[in-house]
Amino acid sequence: MMVQLTAADPVLTRTEVAGLVALAARTAAPLWPLESAIAVNPLAGFEGLPFEAAVRLAAQRFGARRSLPLGQWRKLLAAGKLDERSLRDAAIRKLGGLNAAFELIGPNISRLDLLMARLLHLPVQEPGAGPAPLPADAAFIAKWCAAFFDQGQASSPMPNRELGLYRAVLAAIGHDPDFRALTGESGRHLLLSVPRDPLEAIAEGLPALGIPAGQEGPKLEELVARLPGWAGHIRWRNEHADPEIAAASPAGMADLLALWLLLERGGAVSAPARPQSAGGGADLLARHFGLAEAVDDARLADIAAMDEDDLGALFQTAAEWTYRNTLAARLQTAATGRAPPESPDAQLVFCIDVRSEPFRRALEGQGRYETFGYAGFFGLPIALHRHGEARRTRLLPVLLAPQHDLREAPVPGREQEAEALAASMAQASQASALLDAAKQGTATAFATAEATGPLAGLLMAARTLAPGLARRIGSALSPGRDDVLAPDLGGHGTRAPFTLEEKVGFALALFRLTGLPQRTAGLVALVGHGGSAVNNPYAAALDCGACGGHAGGSNARILAAILNEPAVRTGLAARGIAIPRATWFIAAEHDTTTDEIKIFDRCSVPASHRDDLAALAASLARAGEANRQRRAALLGRSADDLLTGAAHWGEVRPEWGLAGNASFIVGPRWLTREIDLEGRAFLHSYDWQADADGTALATILTAPMVVAQWINCQYLFSTIDNDRYGSGDKATQNVVGGIGVLQGNGGDLRVGLPRQSLFTDDGTPFHVPQRLLTVVLAPFEQVERVVASNTILGRLFGKGWVTLVVIDPHSGKALRWRRDAEIAPDAPANHETEI
Amino acid sequence: MTIAAFGDLRLHRLKKIEIVVLAEDHALVEDLLKAAGVGGWTMIRDVAGMGHSGFHQGKTIFNDQSGLVMFVGVAEDGIIAGVARGLARLFERRPGVTFLSDVEVMRSDYFGPAAT
Repeated sequence: MMVQLTAADPVLTRTEVAGLVALAARTAAPLWPLESAIAVNPLAGFEGLPFEAAVRLAAQRFGARRSLPLGQWRKLLAAGKLDERSLRDAAIRKLGGLNAAFELIGPNISRLDLLMARLLHLPVQEPGAGPAPLPADAAFIAKWCAAFFDQGQASSPMPNRELGLYRAVLAAIGHDPDFRALTGESGRHLLLSVPRDPLEAIAEGLPALGIPAGQEGPKLEELVARLPGWAGHIRWRNEHADPEIAAASPAGMADLLALWLLLERGGAVSAPARPQSAGGGADLLARHFGLAEAVDDARLADIAAMDEDDLGALFQTAAEWTYRNTLAARLQTAATGRAPPESPDAQLVFCIDVRSEPFRRALEGQGRYETFGYAGFFGLPIALHRHGEARRTRLLPVLLAPQHDLREAPVPGREQEAEALAASMAQASQASALLDAAKQGTATAFATAEATGPLAGLLMAARTLAPGLARRIGSALSPGRDDVLAPDLGGHGTRAPFTLEEKVGFALALFRLTGLPQRTAGLVALVGHGGSAVNNPYAAALDCGACGGHAGGSNARILAAILNEPAVRTGLAARGIAIPRATWFIAAEHDTTTDEIKIFDRCSVPASHRDDLAALAASLARAGEANRQRRAALLGRSADDLLTGAAHWGEVRPEWGLAGNASFIVGPRWLTREIDLEGRAFLHSYDWQADADGTALATILTAPMVVAQWINCQYLFSTIDNDRYGSGDKATQNVVGGIGVLQGNGGDLRVGLPRQSLFTDDGTPFHVPQRLLTVVLAPFEQVERVVASNTILGRLFGKGWVTLVVIDPHSGKALRWRRDAEIAPDAPANHETEI
Repeated sequence: MTIAAFGDLRLHRLKKIEIVVLAEDHALVEDLLKAAGVGGWTMIRDVAGMGHSGFHQGKTIFNDQSGLVMFVGVAEDGIIAGVARGLARLFERRPGVTFLSDVEVMRSDYFGPAAT
């Protein structure tokens, strides 16, 4: 690129640039910090495109693969994760239908034979030697991003951060030898002349680089995609974080882009990486079938020209069809064979998370228990100010902004213990701050290591040699925080966070959205969930996504308390939900790593319910043991070892998390109760007969299902290309305090999931990369009305990001929602078709 | 300016811009309003209505990003023109509509430009 030292006249106005920058920012998905890591579709900004086109464009932008390598797919086929018949069906469709597929190229050799040979038998490309190192230009910007966004880890914070990222970096890089090495003399001149306003710098930079009119947007998008991690961090700060987090160091996407254009004007920007996926070679294919004379046949050449990502996409389709056809058939059978309802001993409402399903099945096997699925934040749009923590915790999906702030308060009667706990927490916090300061001081670092080293060594030894003991000691040293502190709903002299009307609304939503009958059992448990991991940057990813990457116990406690209030019961009765007086709601939390269940606020349970609670607790413990055994087999270890792993500081895979997720089923539990869904299904309870206007279904599909789709896409893309869409090997990651992880000692923030969350130790994918299948039990026209009036749903189903199957409750027949591309442009929009 | 019906009330002529976009795009419009120097604006959440692609349902209860939102901003002509130019770029890729109109306000200092 020719170095441009003279200022060019801007072609675009400042606000036009702002519009283009805002659009370009969508290229990178927001990246939440580790403490509240939630799943995001890394291709969220491409969801306006059909899935296949989005994957192709994103692969160009990010330099990523479009599919799992072919060799990996063959392993999954051999392991029975997809069937060959579905692969043949996908191949036939790819070739244009039966006639085209069975067209003969040679004696008894059809085009389908050629394609199947490429899919199954011909040699595949050897996997590369890992990700290419970050180019010097990107490493330079990443280095300054790390300095600017540092959250107190650096002993010498970067100066001028209050000026914003672009201005602060401009002020600093004049003395940076890396900048001189990258841009030479031209960089020095540019530093003196470029506008200090990032939007104006972009407006000047685009024509200076000769970017033609109409190409400015794609140019900016390409630059955002160079460092998707830091770009995602900027998006999180500006769009999702509490304002005080960014107030002292503001940074917008324009800042990042202005820095990129500065480097490019200095002649320092390298060409973007483009991974090459190889075609098969017509010679090889012809030789395989002894068809030397057909090597120039266009019908052979087009199959030979398919690259491995094209072939991998057929495997993905086959995996989706295999799963869809099997599940739909089982659900159709179940839909017409409803068992008469039993009167349950207790009802339990779990999060929709895929990890709840096998636990629910295990519990249902223990007695007359009826279980439901509901979003794990229990419909409460809240943030909790935890005792001893400086910032509030958002306990809700990122699709929502908190509307109510709650504080923790002592449980009545346990004020003294709460006070003692608060004092010890304050002490621990001060000691930690002091240690951090001492560690970073140039004069104190060695002395600190000498003073604290022996104690730290003992702790490390305990967590390595006797993690179970360390876990028990830890529990004994911090006596039940949840026993002495609880979310404060007011009534103790503090301001109530909710009005009565709001509380009735939250309680009503539970019944309306899940179909929970008003004739409730004596005990109804609301069960949140969270994971257990030590020394694991991704610990929050094991927690509840609906609670913003936190454990859901607090939400369960709050809604249970609301549902036990007499005034709320009265309000519910006035709205048509008359809960029996004998019903008591309890809150619990499922530890998905250990399969242990914590029951909250037991002392407030009436004496009349204590025996039932004891029986339920025993059943939960047995269900936990059974589920732990099941999960241990999947992890290739013993059930006891899972308890050890939850406390071991060297554990890289405490559980499989949501790996394997594949479907989102909206319907009553009796539809799925007899089917082993293998922990792959999000289950949201729903009664179509109680939802004539479709409000409940619209809520379920536009919120819980959207969260499930984000999770599904994160797992899918992190598996397809773990280096670009995932975060690579945990063993070589470094944590950037409070922000994210890097690979090695610098570079871009890594997005997505680590390799250990998706692949077994021998490198075989545990997670099968496939798109979400949503199944709804309701009349098709009822579902159609909901989809037609919600843009998000029309996009997800119409453009192929999620497959929708609707099961008719009367006939049990399964119908598929047709994609937009399947409907002729001038034809009426009839979305109903056979699966 | 003064208009007879308003007696001695002093009115100031400014430009109003109304913008309806998908709720998930609200941050794009906010960035633009800030960049243009609009000092403040009104945001009406949960907007529903009929468009050429059919009826747009309002916000669902668990997703603030669903449905439509409407922004209303008032400022000097030059500032609103800047917003409109930026919107033209946004609307090349994203759905939305905008309306521009002349308005009179009583307190012009409320609608002064913001520092950018």
